[in-house]
Amino acid sequence: MKKLSRVYLVLVFIVLYLPILYLIAYSFSQGTTMTNYHGFTWQHYRDLFADPRMLAIVADTLLVALLSSLIATLIGTLGALSIHRTSKRVTRDVLLSLNNILMVSPDVIIGASFLIFFTTLKVPLGFTSVLLSHIAFEIPIVVLMILPRLREMSPSLLCAAADLGATTRQQLNKIIIPFITPGIMAGFFMALTYSLDDFAVTFFVTGNGFSTLSVEIYSRARQGINLEINALSGVMFIFSLLLVGGYYLLQQGNAKRRQRSQEAAQ
Amino acid sequence: MTKRKTCGYFIPYGLWLGLFVIAPVALIVYQSFFSLDHHVTLANYATYFQSGVYLKMTLNSVWYAFLITLFTGLISYPTAYVLRQLKHRQFWLLLVILPTWINILLKAYAFIGIFSQDGVANSFLRFIGIGPQQLLFTNASFIFVATYIQIPFMILPIYNSLADLNPAYINASLDLGATRWQTFYRVIFPLTLPGVKAGVQAVFIPSLSLFMLTRLIGGNKVITLGTAIEEHFLTTMNWGMGSTIGVVLIVAMIIVMQLTNDHSGRSSQ
Amino acid sequence: MTQPMIELRHVTQRYGTHTILKDVSLALESGKFYTLLGPSGCGKTTILRAIGGFDQVTAGDIFFDGKRVNDLPANRRNVNTVFQDYALFPNMTVAQNVAFGLTIKKMPADKRDDEVAKALKLVRLSDYGNRAISALSGGQQQRVAIARAIVMQPRVLLLDEPLSALDAKLRRAMQYELRDLQQRLGITFLFVTHDQEEALAMSDDIFVMNAGEILQSGSPVAIYNEPVNHFVADFIGESNILPGHMVADYQVSFDNRTFECVDAGIPSNEPIEIVIRPEDLTLTDLDHAKLKVTIDNQLFRGDYYEIGATDDQGHSWLIHSVRATVEGQQVGLTFQPDDLHVMRLHEREADFEARLETYEEVEGTAHDEA
Repeated sequence: MKKLSRVYLVLVFIVLYLPILYLIAYSFSQGTTMTNYHGFTWQHYRDLFADPRMLAIVADTLLVALLSSLIATLIGTLGALSIHRTSKRVTRDVLLSLNNILMVSPDVIIGASFLIFFTTLKVPLGFTSVLLSHIAFEIPIVVLMILPRLREMSPSLLCAAADLGATTRQQLNKIIIPFITPGIMAGFFMALTYSLDDFAVTFFVTGNGFSTLSVEIYSRARQGINLEINALSGVMFIFSLLLVGGYYLLQQGNAKRRQRSQEAAQ
Repeated sequence: MTKRKTCGYFIPYGLWLGLFVIAPVALIVYQSFFSLDHHVTLANYATYFQSGVYLKMTLNSVWYAFLITLFTGLISYPTAYVLRQLKHRQFWLLLVILPTWINILLKAYAFIGIFSQDGVANSFLRFIGIGPQQLLFTNASFIFVATYIQIPFMILPIYNSLADLNPAYINASLDLGATRWQTFYRVIFPLTLPGVKAGVQAVFIPSLSLFMLTRLIGGNKVITLGTAIEEHFLTTMNWGMGSTIGVVLIVAMIIVMQLTNDHSGRSSQ
Repeated sequence: MTQPMIELRHVTQRYGTHTILKDVSLALESGKFYTLLGPSGCGKTTILRAIGGFDQVTAGDIFFDGKRVNDLPANRRNVNTVFQDYALFPNMTVAQNVAFGLTIKKMPADKRDDEVAKALKLVRLSDYGNRAISALSGGQQQRVAIARAIVMQPRVLLLDEPLSALDAKLRRAMQYELRDLQQRLGITFLFVTHDQEEALAMSDDIFVMNAGEILQSGSPVAIYNEPVNHFVADFIGESNILPGHMVADYQVSFDNRTFECVDAGIPSNEPIEIVIRPEDLTLTDLDHAKLKVTIDNQLFRGDYYEIGATDDQGHSWLIHSVRATVEGQQVGLTFQPDDLHVMRLHEREADFEARLETYEEVEGTAHDEA
C-alpha cells in the first residue's frame, strides 16, 4: 500500500514536470522543431538575447509586474487595514465579498469588462491600461494575504501601546506595520506572480503597440513551434525558481518565528 | 484612531472597489443590452436563448469544465492524501506549487510539441504498439492539458483541509473499530469536503473560460464560453453579444459559488 | 493471582534517539479504576497509545487476556479511548457519533438505536441525540465522548486526560460522575492525568510515572502515606522532605535530633530522606515541642491555614493547621512516630516492598508484646 502510493506520487510528479523539462530540453536542441533531439546548442538562447523585440517585451513585462505589484501592495495594505478596522460585521462582510469578486471572476470576464471600462473612459489601450488592469486584479490577493496577519494581532497589543502613550500614528508605524510585514511581503510576491502569469486580461486590454511576454508567446505559439520560445521558457523557469526560492525562505522565516513565539508562550 | 483618518486610508481602496470592481461588472451587464448598432435591445438575450448554437455551446462548455474538474479531482485527492503523509511535505508541496509559477502559455506551448505528429506522446504510442494518432487539436487533448494545468490548484486546497484535519479523528475512528477504508469514507472524506469544494471552485470556473487552450490545443474544435466571449470582443467586435455571454458566465459562476460554498463552515468561523 | 486482563511486559518506546518509555511493566485487572499519573511528557499517554494500538512499541510485549496483541491493529483490539480533545466527528450528530462504532460493527439498526439511547441515558444526554457537536458545551462533549466509547462495551476504557479542558467546578463534578459510571458499568478504566488530586480522588490504583518509568503503584492511600522516593513524595500532595540518617531500627535522626519512627530494616547510619505531610504537623507550645520553628508567613486557605516556618537548622517547614498563628512568633511542632515516613535514597518500589515484608512480621510481634 505504502509502495503503491509512492509510485502514484512519483507518477504525478513526472506528469507535472515532464512538459516543463521537455520544453527546456528542446531549448538546447539544434534544429527547429520540438521532435527528435538534434544535439546540443546555445543557439536559441543567443537568438533570444539578440532579439531586440523580445528583450523590449521582457523589459516591459518586468516593468509592469514590478510597478503594478508595488502600487497594488500599497493600496491593498491600506485596504486590508480599513477592512480590519471596520467594526460593523455586515459592512466588513460586504467589503470582503466585493474584494473577492476579482479573485473568483474568470479572466475573460475581467478582461472584457476592463476593455469596456477603458473604452468608455477613453483610456488609450497600451501600457497604461495594462498597468491599471494588473494593479486592479492584484489588489484583492494582497488584501487576502495581509488580513490573516491583522487578525492574528492581538487587540491588547494596540491597547498596550496606547496605554504606554503611543499615538495613533506611532501605533501604526511601530506596531501594526512591523507585525504585518510578512503578510505585505507575501502579498507583494503573489501580486508579482499574478502579473507575470497573466495572459487573458492583458490580451483583452493591450492595444497593438504594447505586448507582454504571455501575449507574445501566445501569438508566436499560434504560428507554430519556435525554439526561441523554448529558450525563453528556460530563462523564465530559472526566474520562477528564484522567485519560489525567495518566497519559500520568506515563509520558512515566518514559520520559524511563529514556532519560536509559540514555544515562548508555553 | 479617529474616523477621519480611517477614511483617509480607505480612499484608494474604495476608489479601486468602485472603479475596477463595481463599474466593470455594471458595464458588462449594461453593454449586454446593446446591439451592434448601439441600440438598447433585448435581442442579445433573445438570440442567446433562442438560437440553439449558444445554448449548445454553453452546455458543451459546462460539460467540458465538469470533466476537467472531475479528472483533476480524481488525480488530486490521492496526491494530496499521500503528500500529507510524507516527511518533508513542505518541500513536496512546493514542488506542486512550482509549475503554477510557470506561465500557462508556456505549458500549453509545451503540449503543442508533445502532442505533435512526431512528438513524445506519439513516440510512446508507437512504442506500445498503438501507432501514431492525431492528438493535437482534439477534444481529448484539450481536456488533458486543461486538467494538467489545473491539478496544482486542486491539490492545494485539498491538502490544506487534510492538514487541518485533527489526526485524533482518525484515531477515534480506528479506535471504534473502523477499517482504514471505512475511516476514509466515513470520516476523512466528509471532513475534507470543504477543501474539495474550494478546489472545485478554483478549477471549474476558470475551466469555463480557458480560451487560449481551446485555440492552441483544441484547435477551435472546442468552443467554451471564454472562447465565445473572446471572439465577440476581439474578432467580430460584437460587444453586446459578448457581454451577454459574459453575463451568462457570471451567472454560472454565482451558481457554482453557491453550490460549493461551505455554509456550515462559514457560520462557525 | 488470576491472569491480568491487560499486561505490559518490559515495554520500551523510542522515537528516534528519544526514549519515551523505559522497560515499563504493568498489569490491569478487570473492573478496576486505574490511573496513570505523572507530569506532562512522562510517557503516560504513550502507554495509552500502545494499549489502544495507535503506536507500535519498540520493544516488549502487550498481552490481552494472555494473548500477545502487539501486531493487532487498533480497530480490532476491543479497547476504546476517550480522547483528550474528545475527537467527536464534527460532521455527525451526537447520536451518529455514538452509533459510529456500532454501525461499523454492522449491528442491526433497531438494536443499535437502543444501545445508543441507553448510552446517552447513562451520560444523561438522552434529549441531545439530534444536536450538532458544535452546539454542545465542553462538559457535554466530554460525556458524548464517553458514551461513544462505552457503547462499544470495551474490555478497558482508556481516558486520555479527559477532564483537562474543563473548568474547575465541572471537573470536580465529572470526577464523581466518572467514578460512579465506572462502578456501575464494571468496565476497567485506565485514566491518564497529571493532576494528583484527581488521581487520588478517583482511582482504585495509581501508577506514578516520571521520565518514562513507573516509580510506584498502589492504592491512593498507600502512595500518599508511603511514597517510595523523593519524586513521588513531592509530586503527590504537599510534603516536608528532609535529609537525615538511620540511627537504628525504629530510630531516625534529622535536624540534629533523634526521633522515634516505624521504619526498620535499614542499616544504621545510612543516609535517608524523611517525609512529613504538612497536615501531620501539629502546632504546640514550646514545652511540648519536638521541633521549634519560627513562623515566616501564613495564608488562609478556607478550611485551614497554610503556614511557612523555619527551624533553627535553616530547614523550611510547611504546616497545615486549623489554628491561626502569628508571623514572627516561635512555636513548637509535634508529630506522631507513624507520621514520619523514611525513604531510602535510590530504593525502588520492589526493594521497598521486600523490605516492608521483612520487618512487618517482626513489628507485628513486637507490638503484640507491648
